[in-house]
Amino acid sequence: MFLRNNTPLNRVTNYIINLFLVFILLAILMPIAFMLSASFMSSSEIFSMPYRWIPSRIYLENFYRAVAGNDQSFIFLRNVLNSVVVATTTATLSIMVSCLAGYGLSKFRFRGRNIIFLIIMGRMMIPFEAIMIPMYITAVKLGLQNTYAGLVLPFVLNTFGLFQMRQYLMTFPDDILDAGRIDGLGELGIFWRIVFKNSTPAIATAAILSFRGQWDNLLWPLLLAQKEKMKTIPTYIVKFTEEKYSDEGAMMAVAVLASLPIVVMFLSLSKYFLQGSGMYSAGKE
Amino acid sequence: MKSIGIEKKKARWGYVFVTPALLLFLIFSLYPMLNAFYNTFFNIKLLSLRPPKFVGLKNYSYMLSSSGFWNSMKATAIFSLGAFIPLSLFSLIFGLIITTRLRHQKTLQLLFYTPAVLSSVVAALIWMLIFDPRGIGNSVVNFFLRTPGVDHNWLTNTGMLRFSTVTIYLWKYIGYFTIIYVTGIAKVPTSILEAATIAGASAMQTIRLIILPLLRPTTMMVTIVTMLNSLKSFSTQYLFTQRGAPLEPIDVVTLNIYNTAMRDLKISHACVMSVLLFLVMMSLTLVRMKSSEKDVTVY
Repeated sequence: MFLRNNTPLNRVTNYIINLFLVFILLAILMPIAFMLSASFMSSSEIFSMPYRWIPSRIYLENFYRAVAGNDQSFIFLRNVLNSVVVATTTATLSIMVSCLAGYGLSKFRFRGRNIIFLIIMGRMMIPFEAIMIPMYITAVKLGLQNTYAGLVLPFVLNTFGLFQMRQYLMTFPDDILDAGRIDGLGELGIFWRIVFKNSTPAIATAAILSFRGQWDNLLWPLLLAQKEKMKTIPTYIVKFTEEKYSDEGAMMAVAVLASLPIVVMFLSLSKYFLQGSGMYSAGKE
Repeated sequence: MKSIGIEKKKARWGYVFVTPALLLFLIFSLYPMLNAFYNTFFNIKLLSLRPPKFVGLKNYSYMLSSSGFWNSMKATAIFSLGAFIPLSLFSLIFGLIITTRLRHQKTLQLLFYTPAVLSSVVAALIWMLIFDPRGIGNSVVNFFLRTPGVDHNWLTNTGMLRFSTVTIYLWKYIGYFTIIYVTGIAKVPTSILEAATIAGASAMQTIRLIILPLLRPTTMMVTIVTMLNSLKSFSTQYLFTQRGAPLEPIDVVTLNIYNTAMRDLKISHACVMSVLLFLVMMSLTLVRMKSSEKDVTVY
């Protein structure tokens, strides 16, 4: 890799660059450290000047108020469950749909195949934000307000994932598929046992992108889930930002709680996370 | 005869495999889009049962002459440009720096990427407190500027408010785009770099004359993705206005669409803005696709 074996940079420049790097890293990590330390502080200590990074005492009441809410309803637990259900279902369904369609489009010849592919490609050009209101109207017409189906279904078709799946499956050897046919597997059996089970890396990346997207989604639940018990974590958090409600300690505690699952996922599956972002630069290979 | 039969049978399975995707596309993309376009010519009231009145292009002319709409365009443009210039510049610089590090490269990538993992709502929450009049945002800036006790109005003053939203965006996405650059730089063939070293090129020359030109596709892609993403930004602005920040400076198009539809219940107006936003974003995406087609491998 570049400059790796032959470092023409002299010591001084290298030292300056390192120093700069440390400074940038501190700046990037500071807000996260702030969130962590502030979640254990009383509201008055959060705004102490100068800021004390170590809480004077571990203030766990913040977490209680974050979970209980200001009306002691503990709706937070239900909302976390909603987020988990919605994100998992969307990820699962979307990889199934992408894998199925990607397989169909790469390995079968049928009338209209190219048109369908073009349509799917065209869908990539339509960002959710531009059709959220029309989508919302459609969902209302279908009676999907305040339902899991309504929260999940619009995001099951993940055109980017589908495109990636198709590209991946194009290189899948036909011989293996034919071998499966000769051995008497049905088409669905071939799909499930041979294609799906052998696409793990592509599927994992797509699943993580989809899960993360849903975990982070504020707009759609904001539109569709008006009932408290159907809200997801991002919409639950909105309450803590309202002007009249100022409980900074609980605000940071809820931020920590909302981040925990995704951070744990990130630490254990960082390979796929980074792959997911690198995918954009992969071009068409 | 037999082989044709098999081909036909196979073709039918092709349809089976694409059906779920196609159905979802029809219900949740095509129909809403056509319906939205149709809605723009009518005066739609969400809760009314009476058939909507045909108004022709009146919704469009209303929108194009409304100051709220142009204010949104302005807010969005300022936000997008403000975010994308530093974002593309710094992610390139950080990407270059990270690839030259011999040790801890993976760890560095992970640390840079961390903010991108947190959800945008959490990011807004954290920075809301940092930007509080009593928060560390003020104390840090006052420490560097040696102006103790000054309140910089991060969440109230027009310019500062815009600056604050851009800062959050920058913080959240810088690592993401840095990783993209790291991936892009890793793809530059080592043989070319070795040749440059043998020819006696300095590090700066290698970067300027070899790496940057070869990174053109990545740069193009980062540019358009940043533009597209910042056009979509919503969470930060929404949460800030919930907290009491003035709406006008950060009333980006997405937020305006949301408020017009959900607060004012003016569905047709929201649809007009959606159509316009759609056109802008679609042209950007088209440019992106075209450029990535052209520039795949030019080595």
